[in-house]
Amino acid sequence: MVKTLVFGQIREDIVEENTLGVLNKLTEISGISEIIVALFGHQIKDEWITELGKHGASRVVSVKAPELEVYLSRPYVKAMLEVIEKTEPMLVIAAGTVYGEDLIPRLAVHHGVSCAQRINDISIVGDDLHFHTPVRDDQAMKVTRIEGTIKFATSRAGAFFVNENPAGGSPNVESFDVTFSEEDMLVKHIEIKKAERTVNLKDAKIIVAGGRGVGGKEQFQIIRELAEILGGEIGATRACTDVHWIEETYEIGQTGQSVSPDLYIAAGISGAPQHVSGIKAKTLIAINTDEGAAIFNFADYGIVGDLHVILPILKQKLQG
Amino acid sequence: MKIIVFIEQIVSTQVKLQGVDYFDSTRVSEDDLVINPSSKNALEGALKLKDQLGAEVTAVCVRGLKTNKALREAIAMGCTDAIEIADETIYTYDPLLLAKVYVEALGKIGEFDLVFLGVEEQSTGSYAIGAMLSEKLGLPSVLYAEELEVIDSGYKIGHVLEGGRKIVAMPSKGVISCSDSQYFTPRYTSMRGILTAKRAEIPKWTAADLGLSSSVVGEEATSLIEVSFSNIVLEKESYIIKEGEPEEKVENLLAKLKEDEIKLGA
Repeated sequence: MVKTLVFGQIREDIVEENTLGVLNKLTEISGISEIIVALFGHQIKDEWITELGKHGASRVVSVKAPELEVYLSRPYVKAMLEVIEKTEPMLVIAAGTVYGEDLIPRLAVHHGVSCAQRINDISIVGDDLHFHTPVRDDQAMKVTRIEGTIKFATSRAGAFFVNENPAGGSPNVESFDVTFSEEDMLVKHIEIKKAERTVNLKDAKIIVAGGRGVGGKEQFQIIRELAEILGGEIGATRACTDVHWIEETYEIGQTGQSVSPDLYIAAGISGAPQHVSGIKAKTLIAINTDEGAAIFNFADYGIVGDLHVILPILKQKLQG
Repeated sequence: MKIIVFIEQIVSTQVKLQGVDYFDSTRVSEDDLVINPSSKNALEGALKLKDQLGAEVTAVCVRGLKTNKALREAIAMGCTDAIEIADETIYTYDPLLLAKVYVEALGKIGEFDLVFLGVEEQSTGSYAIGAMLSEKLGLPSVLYAEELEVIDSGYKIGHVLEGGRKIVAMPSKGVISCSDSQYFTPRYTSMRGILTAKRAEIPKWTAADLGLSSSVVGEEATSLIEVSFSNIVLEKESYIIKEGEPEEKVENLLAKLKEDEIKLGA
């Protein structure tokens, strides 16, 4: 039986959704005997514990300290190593967020083993765990296992669905203290600059999104025009918002907004997992000059061609 | 000030080899091999500090089929020098073993101030090396950096965060992994750089030169065992239009959407 420890992540005062996805996945695997969640912070809220329990956590181990108010590698590694020692899990797993991907490899190093990265499935085979990682733009699947008694893994963001009707109960809760030294706090938190989210794309039915292939701020005009004709919203990859071709509120993907439109037109978007993990579209149409672009693996329809040529023609035909 | 940049070489993702074929080294030519795009972001980070503070930048490459080629390009971009660690016994698919090699390489290099790496190796999506290396070195680190500013106590670094960006301060000695951001957008090689790169002497180290044997960094030493490696068969039937003039392509698409009763527009 597999005892599992999940790194409980809180974002904007609620349990982060990929973490709930991991819990949901674990509850579906028979052979997982216990799901423990480690929860750190300056404050630990009861509603987080309730939420984690509902989604399958049977036990929550919390550490409360001012040093744990925001994620920083050293204090979090220290606290997590102590939780591992107390709970003796076979699997330690975190959702593949920036923090999860920072934490897990470090813990693995302390236990002298490697880790499975960005998995989209886990299976129990005999007494062992197999980790499934899609590689090469989702064209191939690598299945690995980890030698030893403790295994470390991160999930791929967006890989596991959140259970909309979770039926779990209330978990056992325990907490303990960890003390931190100055050495643990060498990297100092200054601030979090929250991206402005003035436009909510979550409920948008139609989205026309641009990627690096758009090429510039002025060139985004054709994306805007097409979206207007279709009665939809515009969207973009982080590459575009980072260089200010378009306002950051329009960022779609792991670090931006998650969307589930009926129609998603991806123009000049290569299809990096960080972007496509945020899209659950009924129909996806891709336009890209590169025939080998990963976005075509996700597309229902596509045109291999230059968006600056294709979109104006499309616009004209739709108007005509 | 000395900066070490660990780079990786991959088969260009533009190469039209699908699925597992992409990883078959017998099917790729030297022209297909490029510096991992994320490693180029790391080179840019180091070179910006070279421009600003006169740092000495050494590029080191362990993972790749023709690492010498990648290192010459790194010098052509502006690196001061380079070290090739070419040894078939090193199992580079395990980030922990790669981290062990990097630690010994740093030991042999001697004094350094900063280590830069790319956030991920883009063909496999492997990102663990930055965290593993800094943990093994016991040095402060900031991963997924998007911007960097020199301050009195070290560096003020903005890194990727879901829903925004986090700003932290890191002391002057540490490990930084760089994202594909505006700040780390890699520069092109210069004519002068290409000439310097041609003439550059790049020392070649083996695992033995670093005091490492295959029982420590070879495939026999890995804890990450490959069980299977196979193509993903797409369940999705895609209708991708490759042929024809632009106008024909659009008409073709619209006709197919109509046939499938997919409505464009609200």
